[in-house]
Amino acid sequence: MKQTIWSISVWGWLILMSGIKPALMADDVIDRWSSSLIKIEVTRHQYEFFQPWSRRTASNVKFGVVTQGEQIITAAEDLFDQTTIRVQKGGRGEWFQASLEWIDYHLNLALLKVQDPAFWDGLQPVEFADPVPATGEARLLRWNDGRLENRKLDINRLRVGRSPLSFIDLPQLELDSEIEGIGRSEAIVVGDQLIGLAVAQARNKCAAIPSFLIHEVLTRLEQNQPSEVGFFNFYWKKSENPAAQDYLKLTGPRRGVIITEIIAIPGHQNVLKAKDILLSVDGFDIDIMGDYDDPTYGKLTLERLATRGHWAGDQVAMTLWREGALLEVAFELPRANYQSEYVPTANYDMPPAYLMAGGLLFQPLTEPFLRSWGRDWERRAPVRLVRLKGQAPSEENPSCVVLSAVLPDPYNLGYQDYRYLVVHQVNGRRIVDLPGLKEALELPVEGFHLIEFLPGEAVTKLVLDAQRLKDATQRVMFKYRLPTDYVVGESGTP
Amino acid sequence: MILLALMISLRADEPEKSVIQIMTFSQEPDWDEPWNASRVRGSTGSGFVIEGNRIMTNAHVVSWAKQIQVRRFQDSRPHLAEIAYVGHDCDLAILTVEDPTFFEGLNPLPIGVLPKVRSVVNTIGYPAGGEQISFTSGVVSRIELINYVQPGNRSLLAVQTDAAINPGNSGGPVLQDDQVVGVAFQGTPGLENTGFFIPPPIIQHFLKDVEDGVYNGFPQAGIGLSPLINPAYRQFLKLESPSDGARVDTLRSESAKAFLKEDDVLLEINGYQVAADATILYEGNQVHGAIAFSQAQHGQEVPVKIWREGQLLEIALPVEVNAQDRLEGNQYEPPKYFVYAGLVFTPLSRDYLTTFGQNWSAVAGIGLLYELFYKRNAEPEEVRSEPIMLSTVLSHPVNANMDIKGRVLVESINGIRIDSLEDVVRALEDHEGSHHVIEFGERLGFDCLDRNEAEKANDAILQTYGIQKDRML
Repeated sequence: MKQTIWSISVWGWLILMSGIKPALMADDVIDRWSSSLIKIEVTRHQYEFFQPWSRRTASNVKFGVVTQGEQIITAAEDLFDQTTIRVQKGGRGEWFQASLEWIDYHLNLALLKVQDPAFWDGLQPVEFADPVPATGEARLLRWNDGRLENRKLDINRLRVGRSPLSFIDLPQLELDSEIEGIGRSEAIVVGDQLIGLAVAQARNKCAAIPSFLIHEVLTRLEQNQPSEVGFFNFYWKKSENPAAQDYLKLTGPRRGVIITEIIAIPGHQNVLKAKDILLSVDGFDIDIMGDYDDPTYGKLTLERLATRGHWAGDQVAMTLWREGALLEVAFELPRANYQSEYVPTANYDMPPAYLMAGGLLFQPLTEPFLRSWGRDWERRAPVRLVRLKGQAPSEENPSCVVLSAVLPDPYNLGYQDYRYLVVHQVNGRRIVDLPGLKEALELPVEGFHLIEFLPGEAVTKLVLDAQRLKDATQRVMFKYRLPTDYVVGESGTP
Repeated sequence: MILLALMISLRADEPEKSVIQIMTFSQEPDWDEPWNASRVRGSTGSGFVIEGNRIMTNAHVVSWAKQIQVRRFQDSRPHLAEIAYVGHDCDLAILTVEDPTFFEGLNPLPIGVLPKVRSVVNTIGYPAGGEQISFTSGVVSRIELINYVQPGNRSLLAVQTDAAINPGNSGGPVLQDDQVVGVAFQGTPGLENTGFFIPPPIIQHFLKDVEDGVYNGFPQAGIGLSPLINPAYRQFLKLESPSDGARVDTLRSESAKAFLKEDDVLLEINGYQVAADATILYEGNQVHGAIAFSQAQHGQEVPVKIWREGQLLEIALPVEVNAQDRLEGNQYEPPKYFVYAGLVFTPLSRDYLTTFGQNWSAVAGIGLLYELFYKRNAEPEEVRSEPIMLSTVLSHPVNANMDIKGRVLVESINGIRIDSLEDVVRALEDHEGSHHVIEFGERLGFDCLDRNEAEKANDAILQTYGIQKDRML
């Protein structure tokens, strides 16, 4: 008993000293958040990439907050391939139909609209914290069975990490939590300000999209300014080894990081070279660990400088040390674009592309296809295919197509076991995408279709009877219940 | 499959008298730190007397042996033996015994012929579970091409039986009518009553091979043979027969490239008619056509009938032992290495990958797997004859600041592409610049060493880590 009293008194003292608000929020603050936190139900397609014509339906519940202009901001996760969005206020009662106003998968943010004016009655927009606190206590808010669940979190730091749906790095708020199941865009607040939307959890750490990033994006959208995010398309290494800097003839104090590889992006003019030492970016000195001193958040990794007040297409000033001399360059930030990857990380909001010809199923090689091997896909999927994930695209070879399966039919007798083969040529034409394959199949060679695969595959060639292809395709479609033999994305690519 | 690390003569008319118990004391190398070796391990297996006062057993029974002891039936005296010939690709070995009196009163067991499926065979050996010789019997279940675990990357003819073959049986004879119809060698974990033995065609090939005093191994055609079942493809190749012949899909060896073309149709190999599914009918068993090539000795010519562009051709195809994929299989030579300034360089090999643990194929990473197992066929012009790993960095002030701490593939050193361990030595020892620059694969960039400091540190590092020689080339 005595011990309990002591503990409470110490806790109260700590709270006073730290200036953090008490663990339990006042009723008015709870009321205030009840009128801003929205429950969102998303129904969406789930595709089976091994049978790309089949689709299942999944439903998820997530959260969002009300913003200016009668909109709801939430994380983009779970909103791809959506068919229906419903929203609920107060954590209970009537559901309202919502629609997607804007979405950016790289930023992992989406805006929802609700047409019914009745929905907006009693709701109020949130106030975004800018800057966000990088230490102290925060609260996680979410609707749980009709009540506002209010949990304590400890803010660890602001860091830069991989955006969940993209290949780019963005600022993230890192928090400690004892609770589980975080990552459905729950509101993370301090007092009456939103500091972030929760997006992921790994053990007792969770990550949130910081409010300043959300606010910045919303402001640009309001002002009709482009909000496409840019990134640094190069790899670098730390300069901890003095011998490396000596070799590169860097004079003066040890500083900067060493560029090791530039990722080729068709159309992007590259101003960097491997073995350049990157000394500063946008006026900020880069230390040997690859960090700069952020005026607000302290040490952050240099990738933050691609998004700190910059957007795709912007020029970012860089100071380099190249071949024993200083060099100033303007680096143009390339736009984050899944289609600029040889094996795209994602193909949201479109069904899986495929072409079925005579039972032979061709698909573009994409990461969602590789993910069909499960969570451990990088180890379980065929080595030759996984390795292509690291291949840089070129104008001549921007992407690739695989023979993913053969649906058995008398027409393709003998080929039933062929799968996961990368197509090289069809009827003598180089194949990089499905439209190109479709065209090539219209140009048979002396009555045959000659399909060649990359060297090193289990088999490098097969031949089909061109005259019987159409009938066989129709027969296979009927037998295996394919609605169509050809599906491609809007751009003709995955 | 697992090798049955198996390992027990002596009335002249009873075969068990000619069955030998073999005790091997072995020491395997440490593929990560190649100057080190495992502790000495003892194992037992079986063998049998063949013509010429020799003992035949499995290669895996005597692998990495530091000492081999052999005992006769019901005789507790050990005799020292030595390996005369070993064929890791066919998992066979021939031993000789220092003491010539060892073979007195022992009759060599005659080698028979390939047994028929469903016929009864008997095994004799010294399996685990007891000290005395053991006899089991069963039937021949099937005969086909299977992967031999000892090399890891070779498939040869083998016979499956339901006769119990257990650890310790390895190298022992499988008999039918008092003739050897096989050498017991491996089993399949998780499957009951499935033991395998090496049949007479393989044994005879091995014995023939060593007649000249050198073991070469089983040759291959150097081609990728694909089934040719689809009627359209057969029509495209203007084939007249609706059901015979398999297609040459890829040409891998130089002799295959010289004599064959892609899309040639193999109709007959060494007198065996080739079916559309790339099999031949061999002694009443439908087996893969590769067996017909492996009957020849290294460097011999195999007569083949092919269909090329509408014409029937007869070719004598030279076949050779494939040495290109040595690193992809299990090796039985001490690992090569070179230590420089604490940086340990060693070839990337299947054995090296096992240092990643039991689940190495999942742990080692796509880059290393591709380099070792896939690149040869996918990018033959880019393949390295001996990819080199920086396996570990022995910590010392001269290398302490390096970012890379080992387990990475070396691309180049001081601008020299690294295709072998000899390249590493040359690139480092012949370099005269102020720094060594080592480039790595897998987007790991490069790292540097101060050359003068590195050279000064070499001896101290070798002494600190107890390495007697800085290289094994």
